[in-house]
Amino acid sequence: MTVRLSDLSACFEGVIPSIIATASADGMPNISYLSHVVRVDEDHVALSNQFFAKTAANVRANPHVTLILVDGFTGDQFLLDIGFVRSIDAGPLFDRIALQLKASSAQVGMSDVMRLRSADIFRVHAIEKVPSPVEPEETPARRAPVSLPALSQAARAIEQQAEADEIIDSLLCGVREVLHYPNALVLIRDSDRGCLITTGSIGYERSGLGSEIASGEGMIGAAAASGQTIKVSDMSRVRRFGEAISLEEDAAENDTRSVAFPQLPGAMSQIAVPMAARGVVTGVLFIESPQRLAFREEDEAALEILAGQAASTLRASEREAAASDPAQTVAAPPTQPAGRNIRVTHHRMDDSVFIDDAYIVKGVAGALLRLMLEWHLGEARSEFTNREMRLAVGGRMPEIKDNLETRLLLLRRRLEEKQAPIRVVRVGRGRVRLEAEGPLVLDLAGQ
Amino acid sequence: MKVRLDDRLLDFFKRPLMCIIAVADEERRPSAGRGVGFHVGEDRETIDVIFSAWQWPRLEPAIRQTGRAAVTFVSPSDYVSYQLKGSATMRDTEARDRDCADHFMAKATGELEALGVPRGLIAPWLTAREARVARLAVGEIYVQTPGPLAGMMAGARPA
Repeated sequence: MTVRLSDLSACFEGVIPSIIATASADGMPNISYLSHVVRVDEDHVALSNQFFAKTAANVRANPHVTLILVDGFTGDQFLLDIGFVRSIDAGPLFDRIALQLKASSAQVGMSDVMRLRSADIFRVHAIEKVPSPVEPEETPARRAPVSLPALSQAARAIEQQAEADEIIDSLLCGVREVLHYPNALVLIRDSDRGCLITTGSIGYERSGLGSEIASGEGMIGAAAASGQTIKVSDMSRVRRFGEAISLEEDAAENDTRSVAFPQLPGAMSQIAVPMAARGVVTGVLFIESPQRLAFREEDEAALEILAGQAASTLRASEREAAASDPAQTVAAPPTQPAGRNIRVTHHRMDDSVFIDDAYIVKGVAGALLRLMLEWHLGEARSEFTNREMRLAVGGRMPEIKDNLETRLLLLRRRLEEKQAPIRVVRVGRGRVRLEAEGPLVLDLAGQ
Repeated sequence: MKVRLDDRLLDFFKRPLMCIIAVADEERRPSAGRGVGFHVGEDRETIDVIFSAWQWPRLEPAIRQTGRAAVTFVSPSDYVSYQLKGSATMRDTEARDRDCADHFMAKATGELEALGVPRGLIAPWLTAREARVARLAVGEIYVQTPGPLAGMMAGARPA
């Protein structure tokens, strides 16, 4: 049976190092490990051959090269006869290789030393399976392929949603039901503060809603910055990304005004898929699994389809909500609840909000809560339109015009999760109501 | 020119290691395979490397044709690597070579497993079936540990 490059997808995960053998002009062989081999197309591979000057010199003097690739799932080995074609140090292919190298070298704990200067493109002349002393049936069974009808249905389910919470929930539902990954997060970009904020979460002991990843940090930040999917397939040798915030207690939240990033103990594979609409990345779908090599090429493609669909639908939802003009809210005096006073503290420096000394949220979501409270106390009303909030906050936070819905969603979910005595309830398209269990007192700290 | 392995390299060779071998035929076409054991010669100037001719059938003919080989040893736990190059000849396989291979494979498997590589994944890489032994007269030694010293001459003193 002829082996094709596309049959070797599990060899290109950077889990098990590849091996490259070259020979100099006078025929002296040279051999070294190679951190990463990228499949370019059915006939070409690219090598991130960033260290060994001898290898680089040899392939230019003598283009015949032999590779050993290892299937990261079964351990099967393949001998490839390849020939040097050209070297690249810029362009989309180079960027793709550089990004994959960054992720895969992080998974072997070498991200600090791996820097791609150039990549060499080779034509594949022959592929030969190396005999294995192990019977094939002893290797682990492969998972069933992704069901295209189920994927299509999941994409349609996302597309049919109108509200941000429904869109994000549908995306996470598709991840769980169609691709069978139980642990996933949706992070939405906050350009004003230069970070990504966890706005949807499934499968974690602590949801991590409201936790943040700085732009460009780790694989989530890199996926957002580059617009490309990044994955690691074997984390047995590294600490996981995104564990910079390791404090877990509520008390720590109150001190640091930050929510701990959710943790999956024993995670072996992670993938960060950019959520992009019309070339603009608005968020990242992040999934992790305790299985090695949990994300095959086809899983990656399926996740990109779902993430893209969610980004487009979120964008459309924001546009529709911004354009809609709900009936003017009536300034009827809200019923004064009889309970104890609820003290809400807002800190202008980061728009963080505490309710009865418990940290809730910061950034745009915090600013929105303060705004509603000011209107509630000043104008004696409890219902507000998204449109008036956009207008009120838009001057200070221009990007709100595109993501008010997701910020309100984050606020709603954090209030629910913290079982706060205040709730923000959606009461129709583009309109919310503030509900409180007692009289509200707004404390503007540091102003 | 021959070089002699220094004490630091001899210490390195006591660690659990993986081994890869390159050869080139008369057309300067390289091939590669894995080694499954080795003996350092008493003179410290040669190293015998064991490989499976069943799994890597291109190695022996190329060594017989061109008489040269390159062998890289890596310590999987910290990626410390050395490449040894020189002239090579085939010698007859002896009983002690099989014992050596068994020991090498068991040690390497244990090390890789301890690092989180599943045993089932390692098994296809290590076999001494149709074991052959190439004797390398060490002519050059290079550091191959990724980092600033990669490619530098190392670990040797003139014989």
